[in-house]
Amino acid sequence: MGVRIRKAVLVPLMLILALSLVVSACSENGNNSGNASSSSNEDKVEQFTITLFTESTGPIPTEDNRVYKEIEEKLGVTLKEEYLVGDLEQKLGVMIAGGDYPDLITADTKLTAAGAVIPLEDLIEEHAPNLKKHYGKVWNQLKDSADGHIYWLPNYGVYQGEFKPTDYQGPAFYIQKAVLKEYGYPEIKTLDDYFKLIEDYAAKYPEIDGQPTIGFSSLAFDWRDWGLRNAPQHLAGHPNDGGVLVDPDTNVATLYSATDVAKPYYNKLNDVNAKGLMDKEAFAQNYDQYLAKLSSGRVLGMFDQRWNFVQARDSLITQGKSERTYVGFPLVYEEGIQDYYLDRPVINLGNGVGITVDAEDPVRIIKFLDTLMSEEWQKRFAWGVEGEDYLVGDDGLYYRTPEMRKQQDDVTWKQANKAEALYGQLPKLEGNYPDGNADSAGNQPEEFFANLKDIDKEVMNAYGHKTWTDFFSSPPDNRVSYPAWNIDLIEGSEAKVANQKMKDLDFKYLPRAILSEPGEFDTVWSEYVEEMGKVNTEAYLDRLNEQLKWRVDSWSSN
Amino acid sequence: MPQQTVHKVEVNPQSVRRTNTYWSRMIRQRQLILMSLPMVLYVFLFAYVPIWGWMMAFQQFKPGFSIFEQTWVGFDQFSFLFTDDSFIRVIRNTIAMSVISLVLGFVTAVGLALLLNEIKQTGIKRFIQTISYLPHFLSWVIVTGLVSMALSTDGGIINDVLMKLHIINEPILWLGEGKYFWGIVGLSNVWKEVGWNTIIYLAAITSIDPSQYEAAEVDGAGRFRKIWNVTLPGIRPVIVILLIMNVGWILNGGGFEIQYFLGNGQVLDWSETIDIFVLKYGLKIGNYSLGVAAGIFKTLVSIVLLYCANIIAKRLGEERII
Repeated sequence: MGVRIRKAVLVPLMLILALSLVVSACSENGNNSGNASSSSNEDKVEQFTITLFTESTGPIPTEDNRVYKEIEEKLGVTLKEEYLVGDLEQKLGVMIAGGDYPDLITADTKLTAAGAVIPLEDLIEEHAPNLKKHYGKVWNQLKDSADGHIYWLPNYGVYQGEFKPTDYQGPAFYIQKAVLKEYGYPEIKTLDDYFKLIEDYAAKYPEIDGQPTIGFSSLAFDWRDWGLRNAPQHLAGHPNDGGVLVDPDTNVATLYSATDVAKPYYNKLNDVNAKGLMDKEAFAQNYDQYLAKLSSGRVLGMFDQRWNFVQARDSLITQGKSERTYVGFPLVYEEGIQDYYLDRPVINLGNGVGITVDAEDPVRIIKFLDTLMSEEWQKRFAWGVEGEDYLVGDDGLYYRTPEMRKQQDDVTWKQANKAEALYGQLPKLEGNYPDGNADSAGNQPEEFFANLKDIDKEVMNAYGHKTWTDFFSSPPDNRVSYPAWNIDLIEGSEAKVANQKMKDLDFKYLPRAILSEPGEFDTVWSEYVEEMGKVNTEAYLDRLNEQLKWRVDSWSSN
Repeated sequence: MPQQTVHKVEVNPQSVRRTNTYWSRMIRQRQLILMSLPMVLYVFLFAYVPIWGWMMAFQQFKPGFSIFEQTWVGFDQFSFLFTDDSFIRVIRNTIAMSVISLVLGFVTAVGLALLLNEIKQTGIKRFIQTISYLPHFLSWVIVTGLVSMALSTDGGIINDVLMKLHIINEPILWLGEGKYFWGIVGLSNVWKEVGWNTIIYLAAITSIDPSQYEAAEVDGAGRFRKIWNVTLPGIRPVIVILLIMNVGWILNGGGFEIQYFLGNGQVLDWSETIDIFVLKYGLKIGNYSLGVAAGIFKTLVSIVLLYCANIIAKRLGEERII
């Protein structure tokens, strides 16, 4: 019978299937443990593989990238990088759940909470003189507030030499250069000045390039929430502390959302909306739509941080619409308030990389990172190779020829010749090298001026400024506990729940208040204040205040 | 059938005889049992083994530590869920959007299947079918992108057409007002899935005995009579089974992706589903236990719903799956 034959085949078949599953599962494990230790003694330098996962999404280097090749040849280190695709929190969640980490990993509070990374202070003291020298000034700030260990090596914010930024990347009220030009480069200090210009210009030019002009836009999407939430603190003359105002004398944080500090701003936007200047879609759009809108050159102004819309700016320049790019102004509620948009560099705590518990040879890894911190390698990353990527002038200063500059804008070229994603995540020298050169071409004054467009020069001349940061008041020294936004609220805590609730309420009520009829603004606002009263904001403030105090206590002695 | 030989031994006590029958039947069906073994293992491994993780719901789970090193918090996670103002709203949204999508999805899919079935020219039929199921292969990211572009106040096609027809005077901010949100979700679901859902009904229709149509024709039935009295009753079992299966998914079927991508702060009261709530208050702020608690709640409700649907189907004298 047919059954007999089938049975005879079936049993072995199933056995094979089951076996092959087991075997393949095992062999996979075998591979994993095998490849880290593969080394050949014939090489001058012993080959070593370091696996790395960062929050960076790219640009992903090509297989035969020049920088990676040099690292491999000179230092004997092969870097195996994994780039982020999709959501970082999710990716880390999976890694933690599986307990399977690369050697070097991107900084995140989740990982410290899960005990996934090792303390670095002893490793640095013993094996990494360059890193020790680099972080020496800020050593205490690197320590985790919970247990006093150093887990992360911040990627930005530690400066050598004089701090001399030319470009401004931070928050401001941005306005198109064309608008300023139209009205002869007037001084803009307050919201009224700003929206007056926008109103006049929009009335005069109801269409730009055939599409309707948008007076003012902004963004409240996912974690990019500052466009909606952060403006009031700046208008009131405070620096960027995230969701709170911190009294510089008493070091105590208070909320400003749903208070009278915030109300005038949203009331003003309500007026602006009534005049038809507000982009009604602003708070319903996603990040891509926002960038597309800015790239069309018909948005006259917005509140944002410049790095957030840099892609739109690049696109405008490529389209030859340089006059549609933006200048930032530090607006305040009324004249007499000192603006505090521009701040002194702060160390980028909670960012950068750390070494995980899975790393087999942490000493070699820290030595490798230390080598990359040397001036030679830092210049290699930032400037490139002398003669190929930059030239040295008679005064010892580096410069690029126009061809070299053009090359630096080419994404494909960069993938093969630079290691931007890697460099962005590793510890780095910022400010000036001992020989007087800036940390990168963008910050070398001569290079900066050579890259300015005609309209940029016109704007600078009209206002009598030399760099974009000159538009802002020069900042006082940072408060020791500054900034409050990078305080770890602790996973799963009451404070974090409250923070999320406050964000939800802001996202829900602020757009509603802005878009409501002028007569209804007060009703919506009081409903908003009432809802905010129900949130456990105390838990949030308590955590911040506790940490602010801790910072003053343990950082002041630096 | 089985039990013939054993009956002869009458002295044996009842129990022994039953065991004998049982084992002999097992032995006789060993090929079948062996064949089903992988599937049983699969279900056991992926549907039952993970249940022990439900322990997490009663802990304040910290990732990176074993489940025995955690602090036990009893029903804290559940009380957080049920005392939170927004949770009721979130359940309402999930169920509402699920039901809307379910009903719309069923009606349109069955409707389109019936219509397609009436087309005699196979070329045109295939063409329409292909076009209608192609959106199924697009991911929600792309679909929601298309939807928000079409609904934009700034040159979106919906507003443009309505303006040209003088139905509205100024563009409507579709995605900025909560009252439209459920409808938009329902219609987007239809657009994406209608063609795909039709396939199974079309298949069911082809299995209807053509002689029934001939008989109906002889009795003088027209097109609509034939649809009503032959085609629809013919696919009724399929409809009911799919309905039961979908009811079990109601708390999940409301979906996550579409609301996550289309939603924004302004429509939060209408767009937030259980999954988004869990993502925000559980996973994003590192409270995994809350996610598990919500998962348990969803599972229990789903089982209850599934049984209800099953009982209703039984009352209607239809096939059941449990």
